[in-house]
Amino acid sequence: MIQFWEEHKKKIIAVFAILITAVALFAGGKNLNASALESVIGFVVTPFQDITTGIGSWVESTGKSAKDKSVLLEENAQLKEELAKLQDETKRLAQYEKENETLSALLKISQKYPEYKSTGTKIIAKNPGVWYNTFTIDKGTGDEVSANMILISSGGVVGKILESGHGYSKAQSILDSRSAVPAMSLRTGDLGVVKGDYTLMNNGLCKMEYIDAEAQIAVGDEIVTSQLSEIYPEGLSIGKVTKIETDGNGLTKYAVIEPFVDLKHLGTLLVIDKNTTEASP
Amino acid sequence: MRILVTTGMVLLNFILQTTLFQYLAIQGIFPNTALVIVVSYALLRGSKEGCIAGICTGLLFDIFFATAKGFYVLLFLGISYFTGKGQKNFYRENYLLPIIFCTMAAGIFEFSHFFAELLLRKDGNLLFFLFKIFLPTIVYTAVVTVPIYRILFGINEWLELKEKYKYHLF
Repeated sequence: MIQFWEEHKKKIIAVFAILITAVALFAGGKNLNASALESVIGFVVTPFQDITTGIGSWVESTGKSAKDKSVLLEENAQLKEELAKLQDETKRLAQYEKENETLSALLKISQKYPEYKSTGTKIIAKNPGVWYNTFTIDKGTGDEVSANMILISSGGVVGKILESGHGYSKAQSILDSRSAVPAMSLRTGDLGVVKGDYTLMNNGLCKMEYIDAEAQIAVGDEIVTSQLSEIYPEGLSIGKVTKIETDGNGLTKYAVIEPFVDLKHLGTLLVIDKNTTEASP
Repeated sequence: MRILVTTGMVLLNFILQTTLFQYLAIQGIFPNTALVIVVSYALLRGSKEGCIAGICTGLLFDIFFATAKGFYVLLFLGISYFTGKGQKNFYRENYLLPIIFCTMAAGIFEFSHFFAELLLRKDGNLLFFLFKIFLPTIVYTAVVTVPIYRILFGINEWLELKEKYKYHLF
């Protein structure tokens, strides 16, 4: 049977096709009333057809209303977009207001050190891990920022720039254990070196080492950069003393310094160039 | 394809690690995800490719955060080389070994920092190091290793499948 089908497949299909077209041709021309069989079938079938067409028309009508809805929805979306735009604008304006405030605060500190040329900048990445505190800022040699310039924020020194690329710079904060800033106590003039320490770094503190054992330095004293540094200009405020202890050898003291700048949450910074002495920032 | 995906992965991790992941830190401690990625990669692909990934990651760290070039390159290189040596001897589907290797690598990483501090600056505080840095980092690393290793494993599987088809065709 299958073999027969396989052998004469094409012929059988051709015959069927011819038969169907012939029937269609001959039957199509006649226009007669429905026969009994046809009417019976109609009696059975039409209610269902009625139902299905009902469903169809219902679908169509709801489709139409859905179309209206889609128009409405479109309009709604447009309005929403507009609203979002407006909201965005108000938010942006609020941000501008805030930025304006911080920038004017920075401007004030730059007026505190008016002799240096300054550039505003932002932190874009921080060194992961607990050992070192270096970060990347978004200004580089393209903005006339180069190595060994000083970073300050509203309050005091943040650190220095180690290396500058074209559009970025690598900076080291004063909390880093590799950083050392020659400093002195503003009240008594005692000299020392502010160094980072990884045991204090995560609390945002640093150490001032090599203070003379006889020094009159006390808790609460303000520490500023001294004239001994080649990199840091003189007289920038660093922080205040929170604790004083004598070293193991008994010859020197060290003080724990709390920087005026919250070095854990830095926002906008200012790069100052101590080689240029411009009157206005 | 593999080169592209791996570079993308390393770069993406570097970008995330230096910016967004800092917000996830607990008391300033967050596991070095770059290290986890390098170690997992070395475990999955052997020491040669692990070394390449390690050098690239180390170079990124050196370029952006170190005062002298080479420290992170050597550290990542050494760690990935020695973990890659063990690649032939274990089942990749097992999670225990990557966790052990990653915690060990994190421990070595932190300890080498501590040792450098001690050696170069006489600034060693062993108790502080052990309880405030070493132990939290190890525990946190073990937790973070599981999802990262799972993702890398999936990517590696996909890449290997692709490469297999490529070699069949030509």
